Amino acid sequence: MKIEMISFGKIAEFISNQNIDVDGIADTDAFKQYLENQFPALKSMKYKLALNKNIVQENTTINNNATIAIMPPFSGG
Amino acid sequence: MSEKKIKNIFVNGRIEPDFIADSIAKHSNKTAIGGHSIFMGQVRKDEIEGKFVAAIDYTAYEDLALEKMHQIRADIFEKYPLNCMHIYHSLGKVKTGEICLFVFTSSAHRKPAIAACSEVVDRLKAELPIWGKEIFEDETHQWKENT
Repeated sequence: MKIEMISFGKIAEFISNQNIDVDGIADTDAFKQYLENQFPALKSMKYKLALNKNIVQENTTINNNATIAIMPPFSGG
Repeated sequence: MSEKKIKNIFVNGRIEPDFIADSIAKHSNKTAIGGHSIFMGQVRKDEIEGKFVAAIDYTAYEDLALEKMHQIRADIFEKYPLNCMHIYHSLGKVKTGEICLFVFTSSAHRKPAIAACSEVVDRLKAELPIWGKEIFEDETHQWKENT
């Protein structure tokens, strides 16, 4: 399973944009688990995912070649 | 959702007062309008633990932000009888005292313009994937969070 990861705001300071190739990540809940294992700093942070430019509201299946954005709370305006 | 094409809202750096003035002037031929409402966001020189904010550096997930703004725009046009609506948000560095957000709504009578303007600002702050990095005078930084 290939996933393109992009990150923003303060999360971009410790997770760079990267392509990963991992097995066993079928959905966004599993992806969060993977992320928090790889980057323990995320565990104590609020963040949202966007799967292929859709903000993830509930656990969603991930297809091959997905793009997932990791986003801290917004602070525009 | 409307078929209208997705509009860009992003401006590099500060929003110039002249740009705002021109934008107002362009409405003089739209004579069905009776009221405009304008909101401008300005970068505030906050003091945090003895340090002052010198600028905010804005970044965004641009594609997603523009899609989301497109939806908000459609919702607002459906909810209020507006003649027009213009939204601009800065990307990159904007110094304290400079304008980083410009929302401009117009309607035949004032109330829809005022309500729409306020709702657009609220929704934009809550829903658009934009991040502000507050840069202090000593070049250190912290990430802003909207409450």
